[in-house]
Amino acid sequence: MDTLGSVPYYVVAGYMLLLLGLGIAGWRKSVNNEEDYYLAGRGQGWIVSSLTIMATFFSSFALLGAPGMVYRDGVVFALFSLNVPLSGAAVYFFGSKIRRIGQARGYVTPGDMVSDYYGSPVALRLLVALVGLLYTIPYVVMQIQAGGILSQQLFPGENSYEIGAVVLAIITMAYIMIGGMRSVAWTDVVQGILLMGGMLVGGAAVVAVLGGPVEFFNKVAELPAKSLSVPGTSGFWSPGMLLTVCLIGSIGSLVQPAQWMRFYAAKSTKTLKRSALIFAVVLTGCFLFGVMLVGLGGQVLYPIVDGAGDYYRSASGALLPNPAVGTKPGGFNDIMLVVLKNHLPELLGGLGALVASLIMVAIMAAAMSTADSNLHAMSAVVTRDIYDRFIRPTAGENERTWVGRAIISIVTIASLGLVIVANRSETNPLGMIVILGLFAIAFSSQLLPMTFDMLYLRKGTKQGAIAGMVTGLAIVFFISPFMPEMGEGLGGIRTAMLGMIDKGSWGVIGNVVVFVVVSALTQPLKPEDVAEFSRLADGE
Amino acid sequence: MANPEAEKRKKLGRILAIAFVAVLAMGAGPGLLLINPDPESADATFTFLGLPKVYAWGLLCYAAEVAIVVTAYFKVWRDDDDQEVKS
Repeated sequence: MDTLGSVPYYVVAGYMLLLLGLGIAGWRKSVNNEEDYYLAGRGQGWIVSSLTIMATFFSSFALLGAPGMVYRDGVVFALFSLNVPLSGAAVYFFGSKIRRIGQARGYVTPGDMVSDYYGSPVALRLLVALVGLLYTIPYVVMQIQAGGILSQQLFPGENSYEIGAVVLAIITMAYIMIGGMRSVAWTDVVQGILLMGGMLVGGAAVVAVLGGPVEFFNKVAELPAKSLSVPGTSGFWSPGMLLTVCLIGSIGSLVQPAQWMRFYAAKSTKTLKRSALIFAVVLTGCFLFGVMLVGLGGQVLYPIVDGAGDYYRSASGALLPNPAVGTKPGGFNDIMLVVLKNHLPELLGGLGALVASLIMVAIMAAAMSTADSNLHAMSAVVTRDIYDRFIRPTAGENERTWVGRAIISIVTIASLGLVIVANRSETNPLGMIVILGLFAIAFSSQLLPMTFDMLYLRKGTKQGAIAGMVTGLAIVFFISPFMPEMGEGLGGIRTAMLGMIDKGSWGVIGNVVVFVVVSALTQPLKPEDVAEFSRLADGE
Repeated sequence: MANPEAEKRKKLGRILAIAFVAVLAMGAGPGLLLINPDPESADATFTFLGLPKVYAWGLLCYAAEVAIVVTAYFKVWRDDDDQEVKS
């Protein structure tokens, strides 16, 4: 990156060495057993827990996709941010009960708890594992891809994409394999601080570039009317969409396997209580006072309308960013990088290059913190829920831990291969993975009805839980582009559904209805088992 | 016999939960239509005290959500069941 000189090389090298050091430190402190490898001995304190939960919650979306969304749609994003305090509260509401029960019964994966409570060692365990894999696989692939894209921006040159993807993937794989959850969580602490610092410093930098807060908001007030109102420039963010994303999508991503395992790993309820408060207050603040300002300032610096007031559009009519930012619809996501590259060194000189490099490393940190948590969770799900139950039930703890490590290396290398091949391919082999990624939270949201029932209501049955999950997943698949013929064949129902409310919410609605009806018609769980579970969940 | 302290906490918890959903409905749901300026109208005002109206509304709702979470943290959420595990 010519405007930043050689500073990014030193910053990235220092960051990578720090991660490897933390990986080795995690390994030195580890004990050679499954509980330690997957849950850090269930002893994580509040600083580590809060930062690893937050770092896992946000992928590269926080520093690329979110500023891009504000840059395209304007101030409506402030209302989208209101989902974050609810997610924070869910850390306590779900996390404290999940931790208590998990600690008492030695659970490691979500499947352990769900299958045990509903008495379904095969069907529900496999369904929960399937949801886990549908969530984690696309996230791992997309974060490795983000490493390649960022490397292209930081170090333009031949093969920079491949080198960036390889470095991100290999270093991430190395520290997870050697140190397990402890290394993942410790690196998440650094990555979480970088991530939040990057959001806030990015926002402050853009305000400074535009001449301070008063001048900044004076210029923002002159943006196009659609950028200053709901549903935003694209027209996507209707009140129905915003509300369901805030209610369902936000907590749907908190019951995915990596977060669930972080609840098990917490040392105490107090740990999760504090984590919930920090999450709700700090992370939302980073969005409202960091990311928002980058996107709005981006619109001022790089208008999305031309001199005649018309929006830049592609041949197919899709919105485009300012030509100086990008020439494809996905180019909106580059706004943070473009602003940092073009304006920060000019404003702060040598210090600007350092700050810009640190924020770009923060983007890399956001990608790595999501990739590591998901890789680690995926290895637990495959090892505990599939290998141990259906392939080699006689496997010992040591064998299972090594199988988990092997899974991490296989998945990382396969994902890396896919990302590199896709970059050189005329076709788009990553297309389906990207679609899966867009629907990942919709899939994980299907765990919500049974999680809520298990932790609070305790009225559902095994058959109800299975039928509800299958229905919810089927609805999400129906509205996804995986089955376009079916969607088109029903007179545009799919398109209409996608435009009304959050896609995962459709699945949750169907899931809840079927869960309730089937549970009412089938045999309840044994009262003594439910009572014992209640006692553990409520900490009595 | 029910513990009066626990009952009081439960009641406050319910009130806070309802208040939180109401804030969400006002901030990110139909309630936002009360403040949302019509982009097609020539008379619409888009700012409030120098800030974009929708952004200011988001900040206000964020403050309300934080107030509810902080109240829940101190008054409702329990941590008296802890049996800490030594790592």
